[in-house]
Amino acid sequence: MTNPFEDPDGTYLVLVNHEGQYSLWPSFAEVPAGWTVDKTEDTRQACLDHIAERWTDMRPRSLAEAMGD
Amino acid sequence: MGSGVKSQLEDIWSLSPLQQGLFFHARYDSGGGDVYTAQIAFDMVGPLDTGALRAAAEALLRRHANLRAGFRQRKDGSAVQVVHRRVRLPWTETDLSDLPAERREDEARLLAEAERARPFDLARPPLLRFLLIKLAADRHRMVFTNHHILLDGWSTPVLQTELFALYLAKGDDTGMPRVTPYKNYLAWLAHQDRGAAEDAWRRALAGLDEPTLVAPHAGDAPAAAPPDKVRRLLPEDLTAALSARARAHGATLSTVLQLAWGVLLARLTGRTDVVFGAAVSGRPPELPGVEQMIGLFINTLPIRVRARPGDTVAEALTRLQREQADLMPHHHLGLTDIQRLTGIGSLFDTMTVLENYPFDPDAAGTDLGGLTLHGVDGYDASHYPLTLAAVPGRRLSLRLDYRTDLYTARDAARVMERLLRVLEAIAHRPGTPLARIDVLDDAERGRVLRDWQGPATARPPQTVTGRFARRTAEHPDAVAVRSAAGETLTYAELDARANRLAHRLAGLGVRRETRVAMLLERSADVIAASLAVLKAGGVFAPIHHGYPRDRMAWAVEEVDAPVLLVNTPMKDRVAGLDVGARILVVDDDPELAAQPDTDPGVPAHPEQAACVLFTSGSTGVPKGVVLRHRDIVALADDARLRTPAHQRVLVHSPHAFDASLYEMFTPLLNGGTSIVAPPGRLDADTLERLIAAEDVTALFLTTTLFNLVAEERPHAFARLRQVLTGGEAGSPAAMRKVLAACPDTEVGHVYGPTEATTYTTVTGMRGALADPDETAAVLGRPIDDMRVYVLDAGLRPVPPGVPGEAYIAGAGVGRGYLHRPALTAERFVADPFGAPGDRMYRTGDLVRWRDDGTLEYLDRVDFQVKVRGFRIEPGEIEAALAAHPAVANAAVVARQDAGGVKRLVAYVVPKDGGADMAELPAELRRHTAERVPEYMVPAAFVLLDTLPVNPNGKLDRDALPAPGFDAAAGGRAPATPDEERLCEAFAQVLGLERVGADVSFFDLGGDSITALKLVARAREAGIELTPRDVFTHQTVEALTRRYADDTGRLGFEVLLPLRTTGSRPPVFFVHPAGGLAWGYLRFCRHLGPDQPVYGLQARAFTQAELPGSVEEMAADYLEQIRAVQPSGPYHLCGWSLGGLVAYEMACRLQAAGERVALLALLDAYHGQDLDSERRDVLPELLQAIGVDPRTVAPDGHPDIKQIMALLAERGDALATLDEDALVNVYRNYENGLRQAEAYRPGRFSGDLVFFTARRGRPAGAPTAAATWGPLVDGRVHDHPVDAEHHELLEPGPVAEMGAVLAARLAATAPR
Repeated sequence: MTNPFEDPDGTYLVLVNHEGQYSLWPSFAEVPAGWTVDKTEDTRQACLDHIAERWTDMRPRSLAEAMGD
Repeated sequence: MGSGVKSQLEDIWSLSPLQQGLFFHARYDSGGGDVYTAQIAFDMVGPLDTGALRAAAEALLRRHANLRAGFRQRKDGSAVQVVHRRVRLPWTETDLSDLPAERREDEARLLAEAERARPFDLARPPLLRFLLIKLAADRHRMVFTNHHILLDGWSTPVLQTELFALYLAKGDDTGMPRVTPYKNYLAWLAHQDRGAAEDAWRRALAGLDEPTLVAPHAGDAPAAAPPDKVRRLLPEDLTAALSARARAHGATLSTVLQLAWGVLLARLTGRTDVVFGAAVSGRPPELPGVEQMIGLFINTLPIRVRARPGDTVAEALTRLQREQADLMPHHHLGLTDIQRLTGIGSLFDTMTVLENYPFDPDAAGTDLGGLTLHGVDGYDASHYPLTLAAVPGRRLSLRLDYRTDLYTARDAARVMERLLRVLEAIAHRPGTPLARIDVLDDAERGRVLRDWQGPATARPPQTVTGRFARRTAEHPDAVAVRSAAGETLTYAELDARANRLAHRLAGLGVRRETRVAMLLERSADVIAASLAVLKAGGVFAPIHHGYPRDRMAWAVEEVDAPVLLVNTPMKDRVAGLDVGARILVVDDDPELAAQPDTDPGVPAHPEQAACVLFTSGSTGVPKGVVLRHRDIVALADDARLRTPAHQRVLVHSPHAFDASLYEMFTPLLNGGTSIVAPPGRLDADTLERLIAAEDVTALFLTTTLFNLVAEERPHAFARLRQVLTGGEAGSPAAMRKVLAACPDTEVGHVYGPTEATTYTTVTGMRGALADPDETAAVLGRPIDDMRVYVLDAGLRPVPPGVPGEAYIAGAGVGRGYLHRPALTAERFVADPFGAPGDRMYRTGDLVRWRDDGTLEYLDRVDFQVKVRGFRIEPGEIEAALAAHPAVANAAVVARQDAGGVKRLVAYVVPKDGGADMAELPAELRRHTAERVPEYMVPAAFVLLDTLPVNPNGKLDRDALPAPGFDAAAGGRAPATPDEERLCEAFAQVLGLERVGADVSFFDLGGDSITALKLVARAREAGIELTPRDVFTHQTVEALTRRYADDTGRLGFEVLLPLRTTGSRPPVFFVHPAGGLAWGYLRFCRHLGPDQPVYGLQARAFTQAELPGSVEEMAADYLEQIRAVQPSGPYHLCGWSLGGLVAYEMACRLQAAGERVALLALLDAYHGQDLDSERRDVLPELLQAIGVDPRTVAPDGHPDIKQIMALLAERGDALATLDEDALVNVYRNYENGLRQAEAYRPGRFSGDLVFFTARRGRPAGAPTAAATWGPLVDGRVHDHPVDAEHHELLEPGPVAEMGAVLAARLAATAPR
């Protein structure tokens, strides 16, 4: 079984939630509630590169706020 | 012929491909009801001229030569159809019109069923029958029954039309068009371009590497009963929408149905690339008159549907139509030929058929002299588990035929409902990606996504430090930590010690979310220091003790730790380590005592990180899993773990291993006590001692260690409330042993990746394994607030029973991987089924739901392996190997041998002209050991010229050779039964295929741990050794010499002790016809060390007279067993003839008032016509000891001398047989066969455990139920074993049967 997150030829989205956490997401699947599209359909690698660039503080937003940052 | 009498033979034809297939199947199935019988029935209302109808039937047979064919096999194996010039018309008339009206229909149905049940003899034409039933004066029913090999479903309407045309002409066919003979079609077939067709099919199926099976365990055995069916008539609007969908994409209705079936099949099998069979009409349009022919043209062809989740319905339909159109000219190739092209064998076990017959009986419009036709009903079957048949019309009619031995009516109805949901989506939502088509209904979704999940508690998230503070305030003087070294800390003391260190850490710059590296030898300080890091706001990051120095330094840098905590025993390990971190020795720091013992008061948040745990990474470096405070508290709060059973938990797992979170925090956050084990590796002895001395209530062991202790010392856990085990696929046999030996202890099976904080499921095995037929260690259900989704490639929940990947959501799903945002985003992904914004962790584990809502582990979807409980990515080791200059290519796999020992093996392709090949393996071992932890260093390095690849270009793991300890393993073969037993024990513990009797245990890779295992195994085999013996004597030869000084005729006594130690009532195994019971030795290891085992052997070896009957043997052996066990409960088993003797012994014991607690027969049947006069005893005898007689004598009839030579050459224990003994075996065998035939068993009261050798069973062979059911007043538990009769005592089958017997024995054991 090919995992939908591991398809080198598939197209993907980048999703982000209210905590600023990112998720790779296969473009064929519905976007789950609570997530917004941060990057529209692109190759897997392009999406991963996008995430690596954007997600620099991996603390959830609520924690970062509680810690006063 | 010369006398002018015409031959009865008109012609001899070859068979079409499908006829060949049916011929083969029908002959193979000859034992059961013939599923290849087809039937149509229709009613005729109005005045009927029965004479004319009969004349019409006669004319039909005259006109169509192929209806007069019989089928025979030639001497060379090929089949022919023999056309007879004349055949008698099988015509029966029955009058039911005298019966009461309400009974006529039932009676008519019974008559039709009886017709179907009556098999056809393929050699005797015609293979068809007419039955005319008179239901009333003006109502008749025609029941036409035929063998499928004669004509197909497309032919029946043609046949009907012609029959009634002939009826009108009263059987005179002069006005009718000439029939195109079937032999024209056979000639057409012979002229097709086979090569082109083969190419086309090869292309169409390229890249497939396994069959698509909905019932993989159904085997090839034919179904005994005809299939049942479930029908649905689609609404007109859906039917119309499906036709419109087909038209819109230039497709046929047939393709639409095939796409629907393909999508459904993908969901039922958890795959995206599926194959099933489809019936095609097979009538070549270029053959004139083909549409009016009656015969078998239909072909079954593989349809491949690639249900890529991202493809829309429209895209998938268009592609499938194009693929199918390309294959049209190649429909003539037979299925067997196509399957041969793929090299896979049977490609599918489901099929579809669109019955778009070229005839509509309602619209025939023929004037039949006032006669009208009604209610045409058909009966046709195939041997596939599922067959979908569709009949087009204003309302599409669907019929699902299912094998009743595999599916219940409810299962089948559910499959049909799923299909309808797929059809709805295809009809109305062409733009929808296939992944969004849901096959579950709302209730099913609710079950798998909600009802079967962990209980939702609504507990608010907490911090570890807050929770610990509460416990300390509640009972400051309770004991928090005890160490084996004798140290005791109360909650208050632990709190104070942690506080001092926390202040010290703060002084060194540790703030909130600061990571602190730790490398401590096991002691109370591991707990105090972990707490201290948390109290300072930091995150503890334990380093694996097995890391090489470079890797240690790397890890400290990776976590950016300002401080590396160690204790005195570890000081030297980190001296001079090239890291920026300050090294603090927690038990030897002069400034520590002066620190305040109050809490530093650093604020904490449940989302804050608590620890970083490193696990193997596929890209070459480990990845750090970041877990939060709330995750650890949620684990400790679970209702299964927050119980008195987990009040005093043994802390012994490596700190860097996630089990340590359970060990440290479950007791501490709930007011219990952590018992810290002494440093070093635990053995069963120490474990048992610690449990007793410290009153431990629970502990966790990896699967490997648990299995080892279960084998060696299952009662070691007896004082525990609960022993948790997991990490790899659990062994039900090992768990059963422990459950039986420890009646007050629960075995908790745990499952979960580090990323979801140690345990995701925890399930008690006492209940789960109570059913002796249970063969898997199930995972149960998720713990509190956790969810496991089993999803397919389209991220949809799969139905119960279907394999899918486990995704874990809810409490305990950690933050992600340290410094690895992209990796985190592809493993911790959006959760479509939870609260908005939730994430779920993608495990890579293949699991399935059972119908009762328990999870079962199946496999990994990737190559990650677990060895000794450690999670290992082979890619990490491969990357390390590839870094060596002499390595061109490398692959690392975990190999598990027959003995269940798993070890890593590296396959290396060296660069040309590089290093010294002889030295390379050792060099690579050094190289790897410097880069990866010790547990990841491969056990063997194998040099290859090239890595084997499969046709798809992927590494062919099955083709990798086993690592060679071969040279060392060679040596001389064992020469006595003792040597053989010990060699087998050597081989088992070392994981080798065979072991020479004169080779040292330690040269074969043995070490001190495996030596302990060897002692345990040898004891099970009845040989008492000590570890010291193993170290001193080393070889099988030397060990055996020490053990057995009395040689004599060892092994031929009537009562053969296989294991004499143990407290339970013994098990007695009675010899098969050959007379020897040696083969039963293999059972010892599966029945547990506490189980005495004896064999009973024929007297033929020690006396000349042979016993006269089974009864006589039984009486003789009863005396023998009474000598070692004077009274019951008795346990009796026997293989073949031995089964009959065991049965007779059991009956006699019962008659004497004794209890027989176990009676198990291994493929033993009474009353068989063994036809001993004509049997060739010697070859069979050889087969019984696993030798192919043709290897001894080319004609398959060896004489005694040849056999003696063979046995001597084989060099195993049988070589000790001299010629006299062999003749005795031979005589005994012959005698035994005669007695088996003569034996007439009596009645036995109680259950019977039976093992059926499933392979090579002749068709129609008697079943256990049929043979013994009528004689036994309890249940007959029939366990099929995938082996031939004579292979039953091979290691594999014995392991299977042994597990069943062990469970039965455990169930009967007195408590």
